[in-house]
Amino acid sequence: MYISINWIKDFVDLDGIDIKNLIYKFTMSTAEVEGIIEYGKNTYGVVVGKILSVEDVENSKKLHRLVVDIGDKKVNCICGAPNVKVGIKVAFAKAGSMVNGFEIKSTLIAGNPSDGMCLSEKELGISEDHTGIMILDDDTPLGIDIKQIIPIDDVIYEVDNKSLTNRPDLWGHYGIAREIAAITGRKLKPLEVEDLSCYDNLKKLDINIESSENCYRYSALTIDNVTKKVSSYKMKTRLTYCGLRPISLLVDMTNYIMLELGQPMHAFDKNFIKQINVKTLKEDTMFKTLDDTERKLDAGTLMIYNENTPVAIAGVMGGQNTQITDNTTSLFLESANFEPVIVRKTASKLGLRTDASARYEKTLDPELTKIAVERFVKILKEEDSNIEVSSRFSDLYVKKYDTIFIDITRDYINKKIGVDFSLDRIVKILESLEFKVTVKDNEMLTIEVPTFRATKDVSGKADIIEEISRIHGYDNIVPQTNFWKISPVREEEAHSLEYSSKKLLAEKFGLSEIHSYVWYDTKLNNELGIEVEDNLKIVNGLNKLDSTLRAKMGPTMLYAIYKNIKNYDDFGIFEIGRTFEYKVKNENCKEYKVLAIAKTSTKKTDEELLIELKSMLDSIVKINKNIDLEYVENTTLNDNFIHPVNSFVLKYDNVELGYITVVNPKIRDNINPKSSIVLAELRIDLLSNIENKPITYKEISKYQTVDFDFSIIVDENVKYLDIQNVINNSDLKYLQDYKLVDIYENKEKLNDKKNVTIRFTIGSYDKTLTKEEIDEEREKIISNLDKNGMKING
Amino acid sequence: MIDKINDLKAQAKEKLSNATHSMDIENIRVEFLGKKGKIIEILKDLKNVEASKRKEVATLANNLKNQLEEAIENKKEEIKNKEYEKKINSAKKIDLTVPSNLNIGSLHPITIVQKELEEIFESMGFTVEDGNEVETEYNNFEAVNVPKHHPARDMQDTFWLENGQLLKTQTSAAQNKIMLKYGTPLKAIFPGRCFRNEELDASHENTFFQMEGMMIDKDVSIANLIYFMKTLLSQIFKKDVEVRLRPGYFPFVEPGFELDIKCLYCGGEGCKVCKHGGWIELCPCGMIHPNVLKMGGINPEEYSGFAFGLGLSRLAMMKYGINDLRVLNSCDLRSLKQMDIK
Repeated sequence: MYISINWIKDFVDLDGIDIKNLIYKFTMSTAEVEGIIEYGKNTYGVVVGKILSVEDVENSKKLHRLVVDIGDKKVNCICGAPNVKVGIKVAFAKAGSMVNGFEIKSTLIAGNPSDGMCLSEKELGISEDHTGIMILDDDTPLGIDIKQIIPIDDVIYEVDNKSLTNRPDLWGHYGIAREIAAITGRKLKPLEVEDLSCYDNLKKLDINIESSENCYRYSALTIDNVTKKVSSYKMKTRLTYCGLRPISLLVDMTNYIMLELGQPMHAFDKNFIKQINVKTLKEDTMFKTLDDTERKLDAGTLMIYNENTPVAIAGVMGGQNTQITDNTTSLFLESANFEPVIVRKTASKLGLRTDASARYEKTLDPELTKIAVERFVKILKEEDSNIEVSSRFSDLYVKKYDTIFIDITRDYINKKIGVDFSLDRIVKILESLEFKVTVKDNEMLTIEVPTFRATKDVSGKADIIEEISRIHGYDNIVPQTNFWKISPVREEEAHSLEYSSKKLLAEKFGLSEIHSYVWYDTKLNNELGIEVEDNLKIVNGLNKLDSTLRAKMGPTMLYAIYKNIKNYDDFGIFEIGRTFEYKVKNENCKEYKVLAIAKTSTKKTDEELLIELKSMLDSIVKINKNIDLEYVENTTLNDNFIHPVNSFVLKYDNVELGYITVVNPKIRDNINPKSSIVLAELRIDLLSNIENKPITYKEISKYQTVDFDFSIIVDENVKYLDIQNVINNSDLKYLQDYKLVDIYENKEKLNDKKNVTIRFTIGSYDKTLTKEEIDEEREKIISNLDKNGMKING
Repeated sequence: MIDKINDLKAQAKEKLSNATHSMDIENIRVEFLGKKGKIIEILKDLKNVEASKRKEVATLANNLKNQLEEAIENKKEEIKNKEYEKKINSAKKIDLTVPSNLNIGSLHPITIVQKELEEIFESMGFTVEDGNEVETEYNNFEAVNVPKHHPARDMQDTFWLENGQLLKTQTSAAQNKIMLKYGTPLKAIFPGRCFRNEELDASHENTFFQMEGMMIDKDVSIANLIYFMKTLLSQIFKKDVEVRLRPGYFPFVEPGFELDIKCLYCGGEGCKVCKHGGWIELCPCGMIHPNVLKMGGINPEEYSGFAFGLGLSRLAMMKYGINDLRVLNSCDLRSLKQMDIK
């Protein structure tokens, strides 16, 4: 919102106050200022001139040669405006003058000397009107600076609307002036208004509020005999500087009062209004608003009716059927208060956020409707002295807010702010903001909240704390420590598990952490041939296609592999992210925390990569939980990026923790046919719930142990686990340990067999074994393996 | 016999001086001092020497044996040294200018900054909590004092989901749950991924990270908040920072502040970084709204507290001099691999 300092000066004396410093203080005490514009700074040397003669310029249809009297001399001017006329007074920019940064020089136009120019309102910057040059009142003194009659010089500052969300009272200049008065310690002048009681003998307007839960107050007045069509330069300039386009006197008047008091108003042409009713639409209806747009309104939209015809969308915009036209001489003035939510809903549904709806949705003070009408009449009389009020002030006040009283002690205030305020200082600050304060014993204050702050902004003690501390100035509060007990906390297991896994993958395995999006990318899915199942969807995404939340991290990891594969041959990535499970329509989804790892290489085989990936997973669970994962052949996952043969489900204690897979060559080939790619997902949330397997120290045997290697020949499809099972079930008395040394596969030499070398460690904790005991143990291993078709080589 | 001993002495001396290899020395040792060595033979043969000369011969032979043993040891040492010298001098000169093969990966800048902050907070007694990414409307809005149709909802463009849930727009969505979980006094931070329905550009992302903190205790004042934030930020930036509070509107705090720090680059003189204002807007904060405390099961008459939000994405960008927010979600290893691990 734009704030005019000239306008503020109507209400607060700012003499001797540095404006920039004032605006800084406003930022520090009230709301964020986004920018400052100094109007008029680059305009000078524009004077009032009188056109003495008008001649056509040869060979030109538009140009005229003028002689203009500018007081101290007469000058030539070539002018293209259609409305030049002998005898009119104009705003004349002399040679050597400056108009909004544009320098005016003596020049030749179509061969004729021209020593300045007559200005339009647009050129002067006070409105958008560029239909012709400005024609000033006949009684304007000749030769005086234009700034003496039009308030071109002004400082406008823009307040961030967001920071006014909770301050309905600051959506007009008078409210801002109240803040400035409090900040500067000056007096706020009372608002000059028309006393409407003198019209109480006139007829009452027929108003009915049928939808009383949606309309809190409806005030109206009719005015006849409006003779002026255009607003004063002062009004036009202020509206323009504050971002509204001057249109006609009556429309400008409603806008002016809105910018001044924050109360939106609507002027109907009185001829069209017989009886007002405020109610909601019974059915969907087409309605033409005054911006000449046909709009479809839903049943339930709050409307203003004239008898049985809708004439305005309440709080949003008026209808074309009753709007002010050039012929309007009498108006029906609406000043109403609507329920904020219905206005907000209607405005957002229609995509029609107007200045009025933006204000209503902040919850305006209903007391304002009457003040606004009183002020309207006062200002309109200044603009057009001929007007006649033709009705009494007619008012239906349905919902009046309760007066809010807040009890608070000085001690409480000082404790919560951390400053030792005197009672006097507290009262002064509150009174400057028009709070009424009564002080009782024990420094207990009873504070009556002014109506314009009581609609929802100020309701409790915390709000009083805010008012006092911000006007005092946050900068003036001295930082203070408190006697909090500070005891360092241990990091939670779940949390440290995440960081430890990340660090391990980056440090030991050389992987890079990435952050991907939590939704699937439709374009990439198509490019890579990834098919994903339906899942929870975003309904208002910017890109409608990419609206499905991920159920697996796999696809988003593959996107990242794809993005990098043109720059790197061998690399690995990981991320701890969320996946979402949405099984039951309209119920809340389940959210899982998942560690995903992907690795690719052009040098290593699928097998080598998969085993490398397995060692990463094993390291994570071993280091953090001291457990071993089971890798069970996958029979459940059938996502099309998962390899149907070389994929495994990760399990511990019968709980599924994720999967590990070679990427299906169909998808892999779309990423890069020369690369091997492997992928795993591990449910880090489930892992963190698993208890650490304790380590119990096993004493080292005092007696010698014996190591020997067996080279075992088995079918190529026999798993290491199968051999392990045989060994573990061999009932060996002295086997202390065994481990895999090597697996040798060679198609040419071994055909469909492979050679698995295992090192056995035999020993006892009680004695040194005899040769016979050792041999017996060896024989047992050999015979058990043999029984299972596993032959010892040599 | 005496002549023989002298002769042996001369022989041994000559052989020793000609020896060049440790093998030669061993041969000499065997020849003279071995079980059947020439000197040992003499000593064994003493009984055949006539008695009057026996003592003299024995002394001579023993002396020779001792001298020879010592000479052999010395010569051994000398040859060994020479051999090492040769080995060392002929060693290949290693080129250490060849780069190491580190195979060290990288952590995401957010992880690094988040860890740094968490350590600071943990040392100040804060618990680290974790929120969901998909949240209910209640937790994201209602529970932090933004009822339905509140104009403040316009401040954030929300990604709504088909089941009525949403992608959380702010870490504050976790406030309510944390208050209910821990009660008072409470000191917690909760970092997390947030989402806003916005077009991407260098300073806008639809997915970004925040870290929010809350501190609730008896009689926590605005002056305490300023003190705390100043201490905290000085820790984060590793130097004394000057802070100022301005009014800011956030529905879950009352009063609400925008906290600015004096520009760390120009010290407040005005530069490009602070857009010539001397101050950098850093974090929203405020005294927790009584309604929010109430909904979190905390009595606002007895307790008060403050909350603050730190833009993790923003801090990560500041730390590494990244000028485009989109880099963080780019998955592009050319950028991400530049980050370190700590």
